[in-house]
Amino acid sequence: MRSRLLETGGRHLQRFAAALALVVTPWVVGCGGHEARTLKMRTALDAGNAKAAIEAVNEELDVKSGKDLPKDIKGDNAILVLDRASIQQGLIDFPLSKQDFEAADKSIDMLDLARNAGDSIGEYVFSGSSGRYQAPPYEKLMINTLNMLNYLETRDLNGARIEARRLSVMQKYYRDTLDKKDNPVLGLGSLLAGFTYEKSGEVDEALRYYDEALAFTGFQTIGESVRRLAPLGSYRSPRIAAVLKGEEKPGDDDTGEVLFVVGYGRVAHKISNRIPIGLALTYFSGAISPNDRVAANKIAAQGLVTWVNFPSLAPGRGKWDIPSCRLDNEYVQLEEAVDVDTQVREEWKKIEGKIIVSAITRLIARFAVGQGIQAAAGKDSVIGLVASLGAQATLTALDTPDTRSWETLPARIAVARVRLPAGRHRVVVDARGWARTQEIAVEKGSWQVVSLMALR
Amino acid sequence: MKLRFTRRSFAALPFALLTLNTLGCGKEVVRGSNDPSIDNNALSTGLDKDDIQRALKETLNNLRAAPVMNEWRSTNPPPNVAIFPIQNSTSEHIDSMLDALLGEAESWLVESGTVQVISRERQTQMIREVEGQQTAAFNPAHAAKYGKQLGAKYFITGKISGNDERSEDMRRVQYFLFLQVIDVETSAIKWQRKTYITKAIK
Repeated sequence: MRSRLLETGGRHLQRFAAALALVVTPWVVGCGGHEARTLKMRTALDAGNAKAAIEAVNEELDVKSGKDLPKDIKGDNAILVLDRASIQQGLIDFPLSKQDFEAADKSIDMLDLARNAGDSIGEYVFSGSSGRYQAPPYEKLMINTLNMLNYLETRDLNGARIEARRLSVMQKYYRDTLDKKDNPVLGLGSLLAGFTYEKSGEVDEALRYYDEALAFTGFQTIGESVRRLAPLGSYRSPRIAAVLKGEEKPGDDDTGEVLFVVGYGRVAHKISNRIPIGLALTYFSGAISPNDRVAANKIAAQGLVTWVNFPSLAPGRGKWDIPSCRLDNEYVQLEEAVDVDTQVREEWKKIEGKIIVSAITRLIARFAVGQGIQAAAGKDSVIGLVASLGAQATLTALDTPDTRSWETLPARIAVARVRLPAGRHRVVVDARGWARTQEIAVEKGSWQVVSLMALR
Repeated sequence: MKLRFTRRSFAALPFALLTLNTLGCGKEVVRGSNDPSIDNNALSTGLDKDDIQRALKETLNNLRAAPVMNEWRSTNPPPNVAIFPIQNSTSEHIDSMLDALLGEAESWLVESGTVQVISRERQTQMIREVEGQQTAAFNPAHAAKYGKQLGAKYFITGKISGNDERSEDMRRVQYFLFLQVIDVETSAIKWQRKTYITKAIK
């Protein structure tokens, strides 16, 4: 009788294990999270091969070429389109970069607005990446800033003004609704918006944006523009007044203006980690509540299927490099406009505790599911024990840390603004082995924007 | 009995998980003439066909009864009218839709037979000549100059501005569309009509 029972139990176990393996395998193999989807792209960028990086993104998006947008841009594909937009910009393919930025901008806004309590519950119970993506402020602000750059490169002031307005909407939202003020990304955005409005002939609007840019460090080159514009407009502020103090308005001459924008390196992307609960408790004991700590310690004492899945930041790339900008074989001094990598790290510090807590809460939830199955099958049931462990293992495999982020943001962006005599000039911008060489024709009162995004 | 219950649960688990895994897949391409309902839904805060048609219906009905239209009807030969781009002062990239709006207005004018509409290709060429090769974009401040060079008596143009606001759970864009008929010689506004359109994601 006993051997028959064991035999029956064994058969059930085999069937169950086979069924479980069938279901779980695709997930375990296929769910490396967002960072796995972008590995080929990052590897290609590391090698300085931007075209291969575009191909890798296209493969992930299931599209034939960089001109195509995915059929479904509602989910995580929006972040991949954003990644592709930056790479297109690095390849000086501004029309395609615009297309990608604009598609991603709308989708990421939609994802942000569609977030609800269910997403948070999913993050705390099921998987870190189960919720809809919520772009951090620097990402939202950089979308409009970098797309403004695309429009300036193509001398489309109308398009650049639209991006400047979109940037202002987000800035107002972060400042007034979320009380997140003074994001340094705004310094660069305001410089470009000021430049856009200056060249559109809207003096006061240009001065207002320049005033915002002056609130951040750097941007010394704005001074001359402010001195030229101020007599033509009425906008004044303490910062504008300080720039005007003791300085004469520069005289009219036969020069044109060139604005250089150089992005280099890449911000830190997120990587997934799987560590035993005991180790997690050692690392993050300060971040979790006493109740959760007690529950987690209890699980750690069992020593079974107790892995915590959570994301962390990988090292960034190329942040400490020095870009160069040569104009007719003379070096132009670039000044830092924004350290995006530092923004990424600061924003991560703000949410890291919450992410660890949600990872440990998911572990506790998995444990509770296992306990429930065991209780339903009977306290001493062997099948119940195996099912409990199987369910926990399945849920552990399904728990994918949220490694979603805009990975192709430059680590740092530097700017320079120079006035050049009318005539032809040769420009060479170089960073991390990526170079852009261009002949530019300068006329009296003309303007030009030359950028390089060396995302290596 | 207990074992039976557990076996069923085990059998159901893989299917439940597989079902979850396959949910949400499958897209199809639909033709508007076969399924008119696809035009009903607003998909973004930009302008779509429905917005343009509503705005134009209201605006052109007003133009039909305007004094300037009566003047055109009684003028022989019909006056030359140019159609210049609508200045986009919103936070949305809607230039292609504004172009479509002007295209519809152009068709309406041609069909009305009251004016001679100057081809927009010639206008682009003229703008390029006035602005120079480097800045070939339409400059509203030079509209009268373009009109004179094109031999137009009137030009139709407009402006669209917007109020774009964002909260935690909503983004709303309120559009204010103005269409105008301007006398090239005097720059007098002979007709103007405004239309409001609001779009939101919530």
